[in-house]
Amino acid sequence: MSSQTNNTSGTNGGALAGAAATAAVLGQMAYAQGSDRIKVGMLGCGGRGRGAMQNCLDADPAVEIIAVADLFERQVKSARDGLMRREQNKDRVKINDDHMFWGFDCHEKLAACEADLLLMATAPAFRGRQLMAAVKAGKHVFTEKPIATDVAGCKEVMAASKLAQEKGLAIVAGTQRRHQGSYVATMQRIHDGAIGELVGGQCYWYGGGIWFKGAEKDMTELQWQCHNWYHFTWLSGDQICEQHIHNIDVMNWCFHGPPKKIMAVGGRQWRDSNAEQVNTAKEVCRQFNNGSEAGWEKYNGDIWDHIYAELEYPNGARCLSFSGHSPGTQRVSERIVGTKGTSDCHNSIRGQNAWVYQGKDIDPMVQEHINLIASIRSGKPLNEGQRVAESTLTAIGARMAAGTGQVVNWDWLMNECKQSLVPSQAELMAGKPLYHPIATGRDPLV
Amino acid sequence: MAAGTLVLSGAASPLAYAQGSDEIRVGVVGCGGRGSGAAHDCVNSSPGVKIVALADSFEDRLGGLKKDFNVQDDRCFVGLDSYKKLMALDDINMVILATPPGFRPPQFAEAIRRGKHVFMEKPVAVCPAGAKMVIEASELATQKGLGVVAGTQRRHQTEYVETMKRIHDGAIGDLVSAQCYWNMGGLWVSERQPGQSDVDWQIRNWLYFTWLSGDHICEQHVHNIDVINWAFKDVQPESVYAVGGRQYRTDPKYGNIFDHFGVEFSYPGDVRTISTCRQIEGTANNVSERVVGTKGWSDCCGTIVGENAWRYRGPRANSYVQEHTDLIKSIRDGKPLNEGKQIAESTLCAIMGRESAYSRQQFTRSWFMNRCTLNLVPADDLKLSDAMPVPAVAIPGQYQLPGFVREGQRGRG
Repeated sequence: MSSQTNNTSGTNGGALAGAAATAAVLGQMAYAQGSDRIKVGMLGCGGRGRGAMQNCLDADPAVEIIAVADLFERQVKSARDGLMRREQNKDRVKINDDHMFWGFDCHEKLAACEADLLLMATAPAFRGRQLMAAVKAGKHVFTEKPIATDVAGCKEVMAASKLAQEKGLAIVAGTQRRHQGSYVATMQRIHDGAIGELVGGQCYWYGGGIWFKGAEKDMTELQWQCHNWYHFTWLSGDQICEQHIHNIDVMNWCFHGPPKKIMAVGGRQWRDSNAEQVNTAKEVCRQFNNGSEAGWEKYNGDIWDHIYAELEYPNGARCLSFSGHSPGTQRVSERIVGTKGTSDCHNSIRGQNAWVYQGKDIDPMVQEHINLIASIRSGKPLNEGQRVAESTLTAIGARMAAGTGQVVNWDWLMNECKQSLVPSQAELMAGKPLYHPIATGRDPLV
Repeated sequence: MAAGTLVLSGAASPLAYAQGSDEIRVGVVGCGGRGSGAAHDCVNSSPGVKIVALADSFEDRLGGLKKDFNVQDDRCFVGLDSYKKLMALDDINMVILATPPGFRPPQFAEAIRRGKHVFMEKPVAVCPAGAKMVIEASELATQKGLGVVAGTQRRHQTEYVETMKRIHDGAIGDLVSAQCYWNMGGLWVSERQPGQSDVDWQIRNWLYFTWLSGDHICEQHVHNIDVINWAFKDVQPESVYAVGGRQYRTDPKYGNIFDHFGVEFSYPGDVRTISTCRQIEGTANNVSERVVGTKGWSDCCGTIVGENAWRYRGPRANSYVQEHTDLIKSIRDGKPLNEGKQIAESTLCAIMGRESAYSRQQFTRSWFMNRCTLNLVPADDLKLSDAMPVPAVAIPGQYQLPGFVREGQRGRG
């Protein structure tokens, strides 16, 4: 672990929050000149994190990457080396050795450095505490979706988002459809009534499957879980949360907010029959159990492979959310149905006000960073924290409805639900692995 | 030649009923709970109806109806071929078919061949081959002037009928969305007894085997799917995409069926519907339908909301009796109802949903009807004593839907 990370004074305490706010405001003014560099720190150096760093670099010439953090030391180093090797990034990646952080507390160390903007792309389980630490330290944030895996995490992000609002900090989320020109233009028309009153809709993220990662020799069991995070609900939120949130977010966008009520069915029907995955799980089991394969099942992950949910919006419209994985099939799209027509939400409207989008979009994964930086410069920081927390909570609510067999109401989720799946920071630092049983379809609602 | 003869012989019987004096002499095939219920409902529905013969796979199932209707021993038949013996009786002019649905196609075909009017429980098949047998036999029934009514009793329930009339007349505008559900707890189980053969046990515990019940999407949820088809004027969905699984009810005594399904049917004009069913004890119940149009929506059974808001306030009859009243009246009026094709098509929708969920593949109805070779119709020589391992629970990725070729493989044919 780096000992050279204590180079910034502590980041706790109420007095400091005010100072940070001032710093942020000064920051905006500086950006407004257009010449100042935007110092960026990266949290989470997997595939999406590296992608987000490049997207951010491509978004604005003022961006400079100055710090990287990840659970794993080798990820941090290889991410830095990878970025520096690219000719296009010349002179814009300036990561000193004392600005590389790893370990379960790397987000705290990163928040303490002098970056203006933090990009977050670790497994979503930890986003609440990461975001809160960043906002308290006065950082603007770009965060990948989803932003939590449980209800407690969503609420933490809502609180961080509120704090960011007070402090004039930006939060933009990686639900990039919200920044894609074709979606924005189509949604504008839907909101202006082009398809009449919204009475139905469908959204899908159904795909073939996902990687399953074995354990490296030097990993602890908890580290392996984090490495293979997709397969544990407490880490990824399950596929409905991790992937399908994109499409659910589009539905919520159509209706200007989350559903009031969710019903769902679902299960895990084929993952335990996936020979390749099972072999890997058994290998992992042997590694952590002195060569024994007894009880390998828990190493095979606990996520489901399909959830079929009905989202009922406040106006009574019932929309389908269809998500999952299985070999050899795919559908990823959205569709909204109104009394005067329908729309695919991203470039056309059919019906009385038929229309097709003619514009040209730039990569929405870059556009979201352009919009984020522009909003900071203009002194009107975008804050998508509450919104992406609501879309994440919608996905979690659907997962709960399927896992319990009960109808889940939004008010209950917000006000009464006690669900908390993620270990505390102290528990993480203690390094104990965490396994939840696979949901049965009639779990108790908590 | 043969068909022409049948038409003539069939045409004679409705004339006789038209006199109003002739008895409806009913044979009951399948004397379990539903068969017994249907027999009593049938007798109570109209004057001049008698239960005069019984058939069941199992002797111990005959007792109740035999006593209730004082049926003679020589008119009670037992065994898997008992229906053939019953239908060979010339003095019977109507049959009630209430055996497990897997047996329905051959039994229905035999009943029509023998010139009997039919009341049959839903669903009427468990595979496309069976559904096609039923459609063919109902065409023959029309030619022969035979009445066919199915146990989708909502079609005979006044508040549904009155609501559906209004929906068809445009009260909610063009249909743009719909939902239907049969989410509930569990049903009875017949535990395996020592020494019981595979086939004997599976038939007694038929709910839980796809070849017998069609799975619960077919066995129960067909009611709600049928209502949505009805709302669309029985124009059929063009394609299906479904998921499902066996998540909670995994004990081997529950055979090989799933405990939940989620299905999307796409009707012409790209109107997509939600359809769910679940049998997991202790979960939230919801058995209902809903259709949404450009001018409002309806629960299909007495309420329209929107521009033409309306609420049914008339009398409500017992639809389980009404369906028999309607059938027998239609026979006696010489204008026999024939719901055979309609119920076969709704059954086929449920089967499509099941197969899409088993395989997790999307496909069209036209493919399913014309190219899918799935055939679960029991062999004619099936014996109660036969060995038959329980078929495997469907695992997406492994389950083979007969005749299905994935998009990418089509070129290799």
